[in-house]
Order: sequence, then structure tokens, then C-alpha cells
Amino acid sequence: MTRRKLWAGGLALILALVLTSVAYGALGDRLLSKGSNGPEVTELQKRLAQLGYTVGTLDGKYGSKTQTAVRRFQQEHGLKVDGLAGTATIKELKRLTGESTTSSGKPVGTKNVDVNLLARLVNAEARGEPYQGQVAVAAVVLNRIKDPAFPKTVADIVYQPGAFSSVSDGQINLAPQSSALKAAQAAANGSDPSQGAVFFFNPAKTSNKYIWSRPQILQIGNHIFTR
Amino acid sequence: MHRKFWYGVLGIALVLSLGWGFNEYRQAENLRLSSNNQNQRAFRDLASHMDQLETSLAKGRVASTTNQKVLQLSQAGSNSEAAMKDLAQLPAEDTGLSYVGQFLNQVGEFSRNAAQKVANGTNLTSDEEKTLADVHDRLITTNRKVQDLLVRVDTENLAWTSPQSNVFQRLSFGKAQIAEASAEGQDVQPNSVRAGLDQLNASLQKLPPFSYTGEFATRSVAEPLGLPTQEVTKDKAQEVANDFLAKVGSPGVSLEFAGVSSGPMGGYLWKQGDISLTVSKRGGVVTEFWNQRSLQERTLTTDQAKSKALMTLTSLGWSLVPTSVEDYGGYIRLEVIDEKDKVRYYPDKIRLTVALDNGQITAYDATPYWAYHHPRKLSSKITADQARAKLQSSFQTKETGLAVIPVLGNREVLAYEFRGTYQGEEYLVYVNAENGLEEKIQRIIKTPRGEYLQ
Repeated sequence: MTRRKLWAGGLALILALVLTSVAYGALGDRLLSKGSNGPEVTELQKRLAQLGYTVGTLDGKYGSKTQTAVRRFQQEHGLKVDGLAGTATIKELKRLTGESTTSSGKPVGTKNVDVNLLARLVNAEARGEPYQGQVAVAAVVLNRIKDPAFPKTVADIVYQPGAFSSVSDGQINLAPQSSALKAAQAAANGSDPSQGAVFFFNPAKTSNKYIWSRPQILQIGNHIFTR
Repeated sequence: MHRKFWYGVLGIALVLSLGWGFNEYRQAENLRLSSNNQNQRAFRDLASHMDQLETSLAKGRVASTTNQKVLQLSQAGSNSEAAMKDLAQLPAEDTGLSYVGQFLNQVGEFSRNAAQKVANGTNLTSDEEKTLADVHDRLITTNRKVQDLLVRVDTENLAWTSPQSNVFQRLSFGKAQIAEASAEGQDVQPNSVRAGLDQLNASLQKLPPFSYTGEFATRSVAEPLGLPTQEVTKDKAQEVANDFLAKVGSPGVSLEFAGVSSGPMGGYLWKQGDISLTVSKRGGVVTEFWNQRSLQERTLTTDQAKSKALMTLTSLGWSLVPTSVEDYGGYIRLEVIDEKDKVRYYPDKIRLTVALDNGQITAYDATPYWAYHHPRKLSSKITADQARAKLQSSFQTKETGLAVIPVLGNREVLAYEFRGTYQGEEYLVYVNAENGLEEKIQRIIKTPRGEYLQ
């Protein structure tokens, strides 16, 4: 009798453990929606934030901010916009935040160190500018790498003392928006709407004589791009 | 009673604020100390790296064998890069480019390119040897000043940046700025490390201009090789733009004129809503097109979208082949190049993005094609088998072809392209089809979006 009770108790315990581990499984095991909680929601929020979607703090609570982020992710990735993190949404999210590999499948990291910093700069310098204006700002950094008068890495150019006002005032530390990431990616792939520019400035905010003396190429949105 | 109470409160407040102030002061002191240490390290490293750079350049000048010359020149390249990083860590008060930084970068770039040239089996020309000597001399002058500053940091406890000028100085009652004074030939002792470096700028500027402009002074060409020479009018450009829009699936858009761009690829800019495009002044071709419309739910696979985009390109008069496809979710990024008689022309490229909702082209960048496309007179002098013999013996070739690729110094070469694996990793190796030199190696990385060349 006591033995039976022990068995029953043991089984119940195992069942309970199995059930909780199901309830808090890996991301993608169940449909997440507004009101969901748990570590898989934190994982979802982390991946959304990685792609530039604002989710607030990574608290593991599927609130309205997370829902809005999921909706925006779905909208910008051609998925059904319902604000629910189902199989298709999570699969796409996992794919786009996944690691790169060699051809034999050995993981080598995400390989987008430079693109992320470029995106931060674009976000800080050209939020609210037209998309090609954002690509052009990222392209200016890459054009500088090719120019012998400038340093040779993205970080050295971005953090060169006094080179960008957004670095001096700390805006560079803001998390980049998804459009800034997209623009940085486009520039890294070779797009250059600035047509070889190495400087850009906002004519309404700049009185610096040096920058006004540079040969201008074109204006996109509020920025003039110069050689 | 009341009075005593308030005295008590004030007393406690005073003690608390004194404690708080002391704590803040201690923290600020720690911060000041650690940033001072950082600055010291950066400045001493700068002096030491510039010294090593000078030594490498001297040895690079005298070296006569290929391996010694390559060794010393690439050493100079990394020394200048290290010095540049140190310089970037020193506090600066004004924005803009520092002349010393610019000089260090130029030296670095020059030595790296020279090293690569020598490594490829070409001797430096007498002009390049002269530039090397010139660079070396300038660096000696620069180094002497930096060493002198270092002595002053040690002996006089020199500040890092100059104190802010006061009202009288700003109204120019005070003495002239250090750098200006030096440029005028007066010998003024700088009052900070930064001012010392600026003064150095001024003394460098007194030397004849340093002519080196770099192998890749710009990413864009000075003269677009592909654009027809005759200029088109604004009206003609608008006609071209409307025709283009009709073919990419946005007919009947009433475009607004949005200005002109100058430079070798200059053109007329047009826009309307989400759409903007550029039609070149020379030749009147669409160089760039952007459509920022929001995406609908996807209905196409990446392959379907790709073939739809290629059909659109055909209707625009292109016959190009796709090289890479990346899936960004919702849209793909596609690159197409020119291919004739089984030779791939990598410089002649158009970049596209294609929406997966209806297969419409949403971005079109033909700048590289119009910048580089021209009739080429390149022929292979060795066979594919002869070229393959130059590869690592255990490199397993999967595909072989001929391709025109861009190489250092804005040049193009005809090369055999070998795609294959080596120890579990995939590479593209290019062997010059004229002289059998290994021109370029690219590593293929599989990102979540598609293949990526590194």
C-alpha cells in the first residue's frame, strides 16, 4: 500500500517535471502570444532586439511592446501579420539571427560585427532620413576605408575623435532600428548612393568652413554628400 | 524648540552632502587617474610605434631581396596602423582630420601596397623608391618632435589638451594660437600634448605637399567607362525614367524633379512617394532606382522571384547572369553580371533587391556596370590545366571557369576561377590567365541568408 503510494507520488513528480519542461521548452515548441511568459519569450525578445525591433526590457513577458515588435517583424518579412509568434515567424526569426558556417557546417559566429556598428551609426546620424540616405551614410564610412587619408577599420573610422557628432553625444549607443540594419547591410554589399562621398553634413546645422568647401555630389533628404 | 529642530536637520543635511561630495570627488579622481593612465599608455605607444615604423621604413629602403623587402614593408604597414590607433585614443578638442593621422595612414597604405607589389614579383619603380625615401625623411622630422613632446610630458607634466581660451583670448586680446604662430615661423612652446601635435601638423604642412594618393583613392571611377558620351536633356531623362518605371511594374507615376547630382556619374534625380531614381546626364541611363513600398505577404519562393526579376531585366534590354542570391525574408538581394563567350565579367555588375510578394524589383543599382563596362582586350596565355597546377595539391576543384576580376590598383585581370574545397572549407581561387600568378583568394561562408565571400 505504502509502496503503491510511493510509486504514484514518484510518477506524479516525474509527470509534473516533464510538464513544466514542456511548458518552458525551447523557442518554437509552442505558439507564443500576448500574455505568454517564460524563458522562450525572453529568447524571442532577444532575437527581435538583435534585428532592431524594440521590445523594451528582455523580461520574458509577451506584452504589447513584444506584440508590436512581432507585428513589425512579420510586416517587414512578408509574413502573415497577426502578432502571434507561431512556427513560421519563429523559424524565420531563428534563420535570420542564426550563425554563419563554413561549407562543411562548422559554426564561425554571426560574422556581422562591422554591419552592427555601421547600423548604429546610421541609426544615430540618419534616423528619419530616406532609405537611400541611410545607405549613403553607411557607404561614406566604407568609402573612407578605401581612402588613404582615413583609418582602415569601421570602428576606427566611427570612433575617430570628432569625426561624428553622434559619437561625441552618445547617440551611437542607441539600439539600431531595423531599417538602419537593412541600410548598413546594403552598403556592406556594395551599394553606394553617395557616389563615392567621404563626408556628409546637414546644411541647416553646419557652419564648418572646411566641410562647406568640399566638392558637393548630391543631396539626399537633409544631408549633402561631398568628396 | 523649532529652531533646534531645524538646526539639527540642517546639520544632518550638511554631513550627508559633505559625505556625498567626498564620494563623488573620490570617484572622479579615480576616473581622472585611469584616463590619465590610458592617455600615457597611448602617447608612449604612439611614440614607440612611430619609432618602429621609421626603423622598418629604413630597412625597407635598403633591403634588396624580395622576402626581406616584403617583410620590412608589411611590418611598416602594421606599425603605422598601430600608431594610428594610439593617436585616435589621445584626447582631442577640435573636430576634423588631423594631419599627422592622415600622414600615418598614407604611409601605412603606401607600404602595404608596395609590399604587395614586391610580393607579386614586381620591383618598385624609381618614383616609388623616391616616395619611400621622402616618406622616411618626413617621418624622421615628425618623430623628433614627438620624442621632444614625450620628454616634456616627463619633465614638465604637460597637460593633454589646452585649457579653454578665456573671454579676452577669444576677443583676440591674447596671444595668437599655437599652431598659427608656428606656421608663421615663430618658435612657441606648445602648452599641451594636443597643441604639440597640432604644431607638428603645421610644421609638416610647411614641407612640399606629399603626393601619394593611394591605389584606391576612391571607390568610384574618375571616368565612367560604360556611359555613352553624349549628354541628354532633362526632358529626355524624364522619358527614360517613365519608361523604366513602366517596365518594373510602376506605370503612370507622375515623377517630380528632385535636383541633380554632380561628379562623373552625375544625373537627374526623380522621385514620387516611395519611388526615387537617378538618370545619368551622360547617356541618359537609369543608374539607381529605389522603391521603398511596404511589403505584402510573400507568395513567391526565392527561385520564382529570381526568375521574375530576370524576365524584368530582359524587358529592360539586359542579358545578364545571376551570381549570388541572399534571402533576407520578404525580399531577396540578387547580383547579376555580364557573361560573354563563357567569360564572366565581375566588374560589370547590377545589384537588385526583389520583393517576394509579387516579384517586383524594389532596388536597382547599375552604377558598377556603367562605371566599368568597356570592350576589353584580354586573352589567356596559359591553359586551365597549367593554371590548376599552381594550386595547393590537396585543393579539390569543383568548378573551373574564366573570369575578369578587379585587382589592386584599379586594374582588371583575366583569371581562371577555381571553386573548390580545401580541408573542409570552400574557396574561390583566381589564377592569372596570362602569367599564372595566384591573384586572389576568396573564402565562401554560408550565412543564414546565403553565401557570402570573404
